[in-house]
Amino acid sequence: MTSLSALLLERTLLLDGGMGTQIMARRPTVDDFGGPALEGCMELLNERRPEWIRDIHAAYLDAGADAVETNTFGANRVVLGEFGIPDRAEELNETAARLAREVAASYDRRRYVIGSVGPGTKLLTLGHIGYEELYASYLAQMRGLLKGGVDAVLIETSQDLGQMKLAVRAAREAMAALALMRPLWVQATVETTGTLLLGTEIQSVITTLEALGIDVLGLNCGTGPDEMRAPLAALAETSPCRISCLPNAGLPVNRDGALVYPLEPEAFAAKVAGLAKAFNLNIVGGCCGTTPDHIRALAGALGSSGITHRTPVLDRSVSSLYLSTPLRQEPRPLIVGERTNANGSRKFRDLLAQDDYDALVEVAKDQQREGAHMLDVCVAYVGRDEAADMEAFLKRAVTQVSLPLMIDSTEVAVIERALRTAPGKCVVNSINFEDGDARARRVLDLCRTYGAAVVGLTIDEGGMAKTSGEKAAVAKRLVDLAVGEYGLDPSDLIIDPLTFTLGSGEEGFRRSALETLEAISAIKAAHPGVLTMLGVSNVSFGLAPAARHVLNALMLYHAVKAGLDLAIFNSAKVIPVAGIPAGQREAAEDLIFDRRREGYDPLKALMALFAGGAPRQEAAATDPDLPVAERLRRDIIQGAKRQILADVDEALATIPPLEIINGILLEGMRVVGERFGAGEMQLPFVLESAEAMKAAVKRIEPHIPKESATTRGRIILATVKGDVHDIGKNLVDIILSNNGYEVVNLGIKQPVEAVLAALEKHGADAIGLSGLLVKSTAVMRDDLNCMAEKGLDIPVILGGAALTRDYVEEQCQAVYPGPVLYAEDAFEGLRHMDRITGIRKEGGDPASLASRPGASAITVISRAGAAVPLTPEGQSSWVRRGLETPEPPFLGVREVQASLEDVFGFLDTFTVIRNRWSFTQGRLSDEAFDAVLSEKAEPLLAAWKARILAEDLLVPRARYGYLPVQARGDELLVYRPDRSAVAAVLPLPRQETGRRLSIADFFHPEASGQFDILPLQLVTLGQKAADLAQALYRDDKYMDYFLFHGLATELTEAFAEFLHARIRRELGIHGKDAPTLRQIFSQGYQGSRYSFGYPACPDLEGNRILLDLLDGGSIGVHISDQAQMDPEYSTSALVAWHPQARYFSI
Amino acid sequence: MGERVKVRFLPEDLLAECPAGTPLQAVADAAGADLTFGCRTGSCGTCRVRVLRGLEHCSAPGREERDYLRGLEAPPDQRLACQFTVQGDVEIEYLGADL
Repeated sequence: MTSLSALLLERTLLLDGGMGTQIMARRPTVDDFGGPALEGCMELLNERRPEWIRDIHAAYLDAGADAVETNTFGANRVVLGEFGIPDRAEELNETAARLAREVAASYDRRRYVIGSVGPGTKLLTLGHIGYEELYASYLAQMRGLLKGGVDAVLIETSQDLGQMKLAVRAAREAMAALALMRPLWVQATVETTGTLLLGTEIQSVITTLEALGIDVLGLNCGTGPDEMRAPLAALAETSPCRISCLPNAGLPVNRDGALVYPLEPEAFAAKVAGLAKAFNLNIVGGCCGTTPDHIRALAGALGSSGITHRTPVLDRSVSSLYLSTPLRQEPRPLIVGERTNANGSRKFRDLLAQDDYDALVEVAKDQQREGAHMLDVCVAYVGRDEAADMEAFLKRAVTQVSLPLMIDSTEVAVIERALRTAPGKCVVNSINFEDGDARARRVLDLCRTYGAAVVGLTIDEGGMAKTSGEKAAVAKRLVDLAVGEYGLDPSDLIIDPLTFTLGSGEEGFRRSALETLEAISAIKAAHPGVLTMLGVSNVSFGLAPAARHVLNALMLYHAVKAGLDLAIFNSAKVIPVAGIPAGQREAAEDLIFDRRREGYDPLKALMALFAGGAPRQEAAATDPDLPVAERLRRDIIQGAKRQILADVDEALATIPPLEIINGILLEGMRVVGERFGAGEMQLPFVLESAEAMKAAVKRIEPHIPKESATTRGRIILATVKGDVHDIGKNLVDIILSNNGYEVVNLGIKQPVEAVLAALEKHGADAIGLSGLLVKSTAVMRDDLNCMAEKGLDIPVILGGAALTRDYVEEQCQAVYPGPVLYAEDAFEGLRHMDRITGIRKEGGDPASLASRPGASAITVISRAGAAVPLTPEGQSSWVRRGLETPEPPFLGVREVQASLEDVFGFLDTFTVIRNRWSFTQGRLSDEAFDAVLSEKAEPLLAAWKARILAEDLLVPRARYGYLPVQARGDELLVYRPDRSAVAAVLPLPRQETGRRLSIADFFHPEASGQFDILPLQLVTLGQKAADLAQALYRDDKYMDYFLFHGLATELTEAFAEFLHARIRRELGIHGKDAPTLRQIFSQGYQGSRYSFGYPACPDLEGNRILLDLLDGGSIGVHISDQAQMDPEYSTSALVAWHPQARYFSI
Repeated sequence: MGERVKVRFLPEDLLAECPAGTPLQAVADAAGADLTFGCRTGSCGTCRVRVLRGLEHCSAPGREERDYLRGLEAPPDQRLACQFTVQGDVEIEYLGADL
């Protein structure tokens, strides 16, 4: 005999059609029911007119139905109670089941009897009836049906999630008591609105019922087949239960004063059979308005074709009366509101004490408005009845708040009461092993009975787990019990590894946040699917509110990075990490990661930052009582761009304009230069002074007599051929032009011919050449050579990142007869100009400035042995061969999505502040420099971060991919993804001495016959960023230009670092990634990322090949004639996975 | 010209000589040592070296170098080659060569 469940695997089961209409067609009289008081009690007809019921069942079975539903739709205590016969419920159900059973047994082919359980007349969730009363009502019905021999119990025409949960529990209880386990089916009724009667969306029905472990979840009544299409699609896509569908014969229409279901049998059958095929329905039948003819037609339409099995994907979720919320939010975490908690919120507790439930519900609604995804509800209050309070609060909250609930209590009875009152799938907070596992088992029983997820705390008999190891061990025990033994889905177990306050400074808890973060990663890695949660704000308990916000935000940030899925916190108090000033962030992160060191305690640092409220602001108003000349001087030094205009206007009344510039303003700039030189003033503020100077001079210029010579001298300035980097050159321009020099700024990529043409045209006291690339140092020497050949000896000032003083004074000076002067920064350039023009003024020859280098002071005494020999394949024998190539996730190239947050996450803030922004200690004391960093540099960085995010100044886009590759000597042969042909040949130069490395050596040689894998990447911050930098410079916003350019440059690096990290992860070589970002930035990982233009592959032409392979044009990145990428903030790289692949110099 | 000091570069075993007080990066550049520099301002870490001998002959680390190395939790015998001068004989090993 085929079991019902087995049959559902084979084909679509055909159920019967309407019962009520068939009965009414027989026009029952008062007498048929047994008296006026009983008129309309259909269930009594099982007893009084069994032949009618028998005939109706037989008509459906004759029509081809596989199963009939018992005539017990209203046969529960509550409905029968309305006829005064509640106690007959069990008996009537048993009678009805036996009747149907008897008819079914009279057929040769196996027919089934399904026990029909209707919704009754009262809505539990709306408080029409109490839980216990309704439960007793259904329990009696379930017992009768089971005793009468039904093959399955069908809870149908359901409108209320609370009633469905209750009826399922009643059915289970009856089955257990009678030892008659039967399949449990549930059918909801979706209205024409697309939701259940109370507004429940279908997804919430699925989430709630799936958790109860039922066999079939389907739809009946409410609408016709057409209207069921959308909810059936949701079921088919996500529900792991089998699906049933019993529509009405269309939506009823009014015909001559009577409601008529319009679909004729053939039309109905065609539609339902269509749904069965489209959604792989397991059970079909009819509801209101359907007849044996409809079922006969449906039997024909279904034919005998088998069923195709679905592969539903259910996002593990929780649900409320209204909606379903996935536990995995994107972006993480799911926010659990913490204020509906009598232990955590004084307001909530006070309102509870006043029994002000409306106000309590308002607290819940506030959190919903503020972005919480779920509410943690705790009403434990000493001296009050917690279970009664829980029920009273939930009864109001569940209809007024649409968020799913987390039931927070230590009392099993309170948890059970809550799970009965809340209609959706809740989370229970929480279980632990403090007193063994007995209590945890009781709670897990409840989770199974009422369909709930559960939070497990890492607490065992030894107390709260403090180390990551202890936390992971308790987590394993929780998983073994809840998932292994109780069969919860892994994602219905949420582990809270606990975090403790760092605010106490207690030695035993100094590492506690760090341990928690490690535990989150460990749990996520060890138990796939299992979720994690943290009560984040515990970390800052006891600190000042402002400090708490910062610490909470960073703890949350790092926990999410570690893999946290849910976080309990007050969503209104969350501050964006990007908006936290760097000084505060560093102190908070140092506290979280316990980075104490001698003389530095991050806890004290954080407390000091917030002592007396918010961090202090600087006030720098110039004293109006000072003479105007002194005020102007100070305006320059302080970079007071606005104030200086008023002071200039005042000065112009009494002081000749040239005197203002040369005697006062330039004196101010001189002081600025001195302070910069002494390291007392940082470059960004120097630029602010230059902006003030520029503004003042612009104001004065119209007042200067035409014939006056205002310039102290002239310089022609250029970035050399092949180099697009103009920041250094522009800084020199800013400083010189605001110190009285005339600057002819030729721009970037200037061949020596252009420089000489400008010299011819303008005449000049000196030439300034700049360049950032390693290659540019050689270009500068070539340019000097060329100038020497033309017989020039004009002083040349050189500057740039890759230059050194020795290289300039020796190698460069050696090829040129005039002075070649090294300028470490713009102010050294200014000093050179002062010397050159000073000598000239006194009638001297600046050529005398040329140094005459003697023999090099540095000598090589010995160089061990010969260079490392090359292998027969032409590779360095220093490189280990034959390592296993990692497996790429795909072959080819793709665009990859990244957010600005992703990019900021890899920002090397140390390099931004210390290098890009030139904050250096100079002669400042440690304390003074610390103050500069925390009060100036870090707030600047925070402000720029906030501005970039707020104004969307950057548009990060990236492409990357993996291509087959082989090495051939000093080249890489890059193949098409299918290896069908070589797509490009990348020339990679080789060291002449020492290890004799070429990047090609880190890949399998062609001769080996093996293919290696070449990851490639390209990132850009977009044209908008490049345009903004240029606009800032053009508009004389020197400081902003300098800061934005530096930050954007470093963000480009950050983006590349982000993508490189992804590549390592995808290749599975991320195991060697260093634990901290700072170490990652210092190549703390396996392999290397090489960009053209850097020491290992200096020739920019390689960019052309990379861009071609990566199809850079598709994200707007193009290559210039000089092989530079455009827009400016773009960088490409090739990645080597070989462990010996590190940076080296050609 | 004052006292001359010896600088040995490992693992390549290159021995160079220079006046006391010469920046290590100048020695590395001039001698063609297999040692890679990045930013040369003490913030990228490309030129990290281990001082095997003569740590006391290296000029004391400045604030930039101190802060950088502390960020890496580097042991005290590690230095940034672009940030110090040599006052006496030293033996240094380039750390960028292997992970």
